[in-house]
Parts: sequence; C-alpha cells; structure tokens
Amino acid sequence: MKHGIGIDIGSTTAKGVLVDSTSKTLASYIMPTGSSGSQAVERIMEELRVSSKMELKGIPIISTGYGRTQVEDAEQSVTEITCHSVGVHSLHPEMRLLIDVGGQDSKVIRIGPEGRPVNFELNDKCSAGTGRFLEVMAGVLGISISELGPLALTSKTPATISSTCTVFAESEVICHIGAGKDPSDIAAGLHASMATKIASLARRVGIVRPICLTGGVALNPAFKHHLSKQLGAELWVPENPQFTGALGAAVIAIRGLNK
Amino acid sequence: MTETKKEDKAYRQLESNSLLQQIMFQYMLEGQQASEEKRLAWVTSGFPVEIPVAMGVGVSYPEQYGAVVGSQKVGPEVCGYAEEIGYSQELCSYARASIGSVEKPNASPMDGLPVPQALLACNNICGTVLRWYDAVSEQTGAPVFLLDTPPIEGEQPEHHKEYVRKGIDRLVDFLGTTFHTTLTEKRMREVADLSSRAIKLYNQSLAACKNRPSPLNCADRFLTMAPVVSMRGTDIIIDFYQTLLDEVNSRVKEGIGAIRDEKIRLLWDNIPPWHSIFRFFNGLAKRGVVFPADTYTHAWSGAIETDDLYGSVVSIYSNSYLNKGLEAKIDKMCQLIEDYDLDGFIMFSVRSCKRYSLGQLVSKEIVSERTGVPGVVIEGDMVDSRLYNEAQIQTRVDALLEMFL
Repeated sequence: MKHGIGIDIGSTTAKGVLVDSTSKTLASYIMPTGSSGSQAVERIMEELRVSSKMELKGIPIISTGYGRTQVEDAEQSVTEITCHSVGVHSLHPEMRLLIDVGGQDSKVIRIGPEGRPVNFELNDKCSAGTGRFLEVMAGVLGISISELGPLALTSKTPATISSTCTVFAESEVICHIGAGKDPSDIAAGLHASMATKIASLARRVGIVRPICLTGGVALNPAFKHHLSKQLGAELWVPENPQFTGALGAAVIAIRGLNK
Repeated sequence: MTETKKEDKAYRQLESNSLLQQIMFQYMLEGQQASEEKRLAWVTSGFPVEIPVAMGVGVSYPEQYGAVVGSQKVGPEVCGYAEEIGYSQELCSYARASIGSVEKPNASPMDGLPVPQALLACNNICGTVLRWYDAVSEQTGAPVFLLDTPPIEGEQPEHHKEYVRKGIDRLVDFLGTTFHTTLTEKRMREVADLSSRAIKLYNQSLAACKNRPSPLNCADRFLTMAPVVSMRGTDIIIDFYQTLLDEVNSRVKEGIGAIRDEKIRLLWDNIPPWHSIFRFFNGLAKRGVVFPADTYTHAWSGAIETDDLYGSVVSIYSNSYLNKGLEAKIDKMCQLIEDYDLDGFIMFSVRSCKRYSLGQLVSKEIVSERTGVPGVVIEGDMVDSRLYNEAQIQTRVDALLEMFL
C-alpha cells in the first residue's frame, strides 16, 4: 500500500500527517513552529515514525505553509491554499467553500468538484481576523486563549467592538473593562467583530454551501457560532481542523498534484 | 562557457536594449540642456506632450523618475525624504519620490530630475497629480498648468470635447507666455506624425505577443515603453521602435520566445513593482510563465491622426481608460485575455496608485466570470518596497499556478 506524508509549517504551529492510499490518517503530530522550521520538521518526522511504528524512509513528502521551502526532504512544496482544499475534499467531498482561520492569516477558498481550489481570497496583511487577534484580546482580558470562546458563549448582551484593527480593538476592550462591562460580553463582542471581518472576506469569494471551517480558530466554539450566524449557514468543522493542510499535502504526496 | 551560461537562462534579453540605453541617456542629457536653457517642463505620463515638444519645450517625467528610484531599490530612502518634511506614507510613491528628490537631490539617483521651469499636469491618470505638482511648484517656484479632463462614462460628449479643447488652447497660451514660443500648424503636424509612427511601431511589437511563444515578456514591454512615454513626437525614437519590431518579428519567424519554455500565459494588470521587476518576472519565467499582455503598456496605444489634429489630441488624452469608468478597464482586460489567448491574470494592487487599483477586487470577479480564467490579486507598491511582502505574494501566485496543473 502506498503512503504519503504532508508537512505544514504554519506561522504559529507545524503539523505533520501520514496517510495511506485511502487517505486514512495513520499518524499526526502538531507542535509550535518555534524559531526553526527545520527542527520542527525533524521532530514531526520522529513523532510520526514512533506513532505509526513504520519506517518512513522512501515515503514521499509534500510540504506546505509559509515555511514550506524549509522542508529539505520534500519532493515538492505546494501552497496551503491547494493543500487545504484537497485535504477538506478528502474528508468531505461535498464541501464547496472552505474558511480557514489560522494564527496569522485567514483564507476563503472555493473548492471545485475535483477538490482543487477554483477561487480564493486571503487576508494576510493584517492580524485582525486571525488567531493572533483573539490571542491578543485574551491577553488583555487576562485569560488563556482556550477560555476565551467558552466565556463568550455565556454572554447575554455582547458588547460592541466597532474596530476591526487589532490595535484599536485593544483600546476599545480596555475602555469596556474600565466601564465595568462583563468580560463575557466583551469576549462575545470580540468574536462577533472578527466574524464580521471573515464573513466579508467569504462574501468576496461568494457564499456557496456546504461550508467548512478549519484552522486553529475553528476549535473556538464562539467564533464558529458568530460566523455561522453572520453567514446564515451551518459550518462543518472536521475533527482535527488544524490538520487539513498537512492532510491535503499527504494526499497530494500519494496522488500527485494534477489528479 | 559564457554562451552555455546564456543559453541556460530562462529569460532571453533583447538585443535592442543597448539602443534603448543610448537613447534614454540622450533623453537625460537633453533634459539637462533644456533646463539650462530655461525651457524644461515636467509632465505627467498622460499629458499631450506633442504640444510642448512642437513648441520647443523640453520635457522630463517625474513618474519615470519614480520608476528609476524603484529600480535602483532606493524607494524607501527617497520617499523617506518627502516623509521627513511631512508627507504621508499613503501618498503616491511616484509623488513622494519626486518631492523627496527635489528636497534632497544630491542624495537621490542622478541628482534628481533637471530643474523645471513649468509643471504640466493632466488629471486623466489621477487627481493626485495636481496636488503633487502644486507641492513641487512650492519647492521649485515653477508654475503649474492643469489640463483638466473630467472622467468619462461611455462615449465622450460634445461639451466634454469642447471643454478639453479649450484647455488645449489655454495650454498653448500658457507655454507661449512662459517660454516665449509659438505653435505652428506645420510643426505640430510633424510632431504628431512622429508620435503616431512611434506608437504604431510599438503597437505592432505589442500585438506580435499574440503569437506562441510570445516574443516579449512583461519586463521587456515595461522597459521598451520608456521612449514612447517620455519621447513621443521626437524622431530619435523611430529607429529604436523599428529595431525593436525587427527583433520581435525575427523572434516570431524563428519561433523564439521571450522565455525559454513557455507553458502558462498570463495577463498583468497595473504598474510593475519596479524594485523587484526582474526578480518577479524572471522568477516566474523559470517556471514557464510568460506575460504576453498587460494593461499598462497598452495604455499608450492612441495615435494622433493628422486629418483632425486637435480633435484627435482631445479624444486620445480624454479617453485613457483610467479616465473612464471601471467597465472600460474590465472590457480591456477581457479583450486582452481573449486576443492574446491567456490562461489567467495577476492584478497588482498598488498601495500608492489608488486610481489604478480601485475596483480590482470587483474587476477580478467580473473578468473571471466573463472569460472563464482564474486570477489573483497581489498587494505591494511600485516604488516603496516596504509595502512588498514577497512570501505573501509568492503564496498567492503559487496558488494561482497550481490551478493550471
């Protein structure tokens, strides 16, 4: 049986996936990218080897993500746009729109019937609308990023955060704190603000259902709630939404890019 | 050994480039001489330059100077001189480069442009030019003349033609008073004829890119357009455009492309990133990507017809597509994609040039829908490399190319 490895060196986390020819995930690993992409690759390969109990030598590797050129053993590097599209398609072939919100960029991809992207838009010049925005705001509220989403869901009267800019939104949050606003309402307002920005990016590509949400931010239940509300559509989140790029890369490692 | 190395290159340099360098050097010298003789005007790229040329006024182009600043990779420094005296980073980087170089000529490429005695602006390319030339006027003391060409939607109405025509008359008066010169019908016809001949020759070279493989790539056209922008109406450039056309025709005849292995044909929209022009286009050439057409070099395609000289000047300079609705630019892009048999397009969203970049996101969707080919918008600036993020651009362009595999 053929196998393939996908390595996604993202701005915040590095991910690796080993699949077989049925696109079934045999092993996966995620870690902070840190300062050295090549060290992350070494560690990922070791973890995939231990976890799969397989000899990985000779298995084709495709790299993706902003650090894709740092993966020396990769046969080819493919953009995260194509990899996410192929990855989601392998999990759920019906999906036609993919919204990926990562650590430092967000992207919306229209997926063609064959699983290849047919149109896309990226927000990569500004941290608003990315995981980094929520990280900064969690810091201002003095809680961890994993607590931010659940806290927001308890809000009854979300605060208004009008700024989509991370720096200005931070000032607004500080004003709300000063005014004695409940942290859950501030958190809810932040998620709604970010969802507005992503929904606008999605509308630029065109809303086509069914829609999938991936990336680290897909793990945040409040963001999913607000985005779904703004788009007026259900969002499907894969079991491991951070791995779809690496999964797509692994699938391409087996099938090639033009199939 | 050298030959082998040359053959390995993905991009084939034009032999006509040596002649291009010579005439651009001569152009620079003529600008200096005109300035010394107190008969130099700075002009915007869309100005009816045939008129000052016919009246013996020398011309220099600050926009072209901006391209030089960008190409020499000193955009952040020279634009910075303008920022130091209070101009915003949001202002057009051509404007900042020229204001900055007037402020600190000795710290700028070629010691800045020669000192002007008049500033001739036509707002058919954008509204910024007037304020920019006003600023340079404050710096240099040279008076500004504005040829006002209000935007057109659809056909140019008669009253619009009359209005611009009156502007042309005022221009002749202004130049007459400022430079103590006159315009004769005979000389104007000679200059218009030279201008038309150069434009027609250049257009033939552009049109030859419909062939597969394309004889010219984007950077070739951006470099070879320089004389038709800055020296329209002079006889010195006719030889160059004939030599270029001969080389282009010979490439077509022998099946030689601008790049070694043409696989994907794309359209380019907007001014190029001058600071990275070779790195960007030659990098893509290595991957078999050629750009047989672009919206920018095709903007200098209007030839003045000599039977109705001034009517023709009015029509050409009012109808530049930046002066028309977005629909005109979309139509142009669709037409180029069809005529040049292109697989997709790249739109460069230039932070500086709001006028050219406005509406690109909407245009992208419409052009894709109409032509059925994919496109991508990349962001940056033509001169100011601080606004150009190579990794982000690479990802977008790579994703577009992956769509063709």
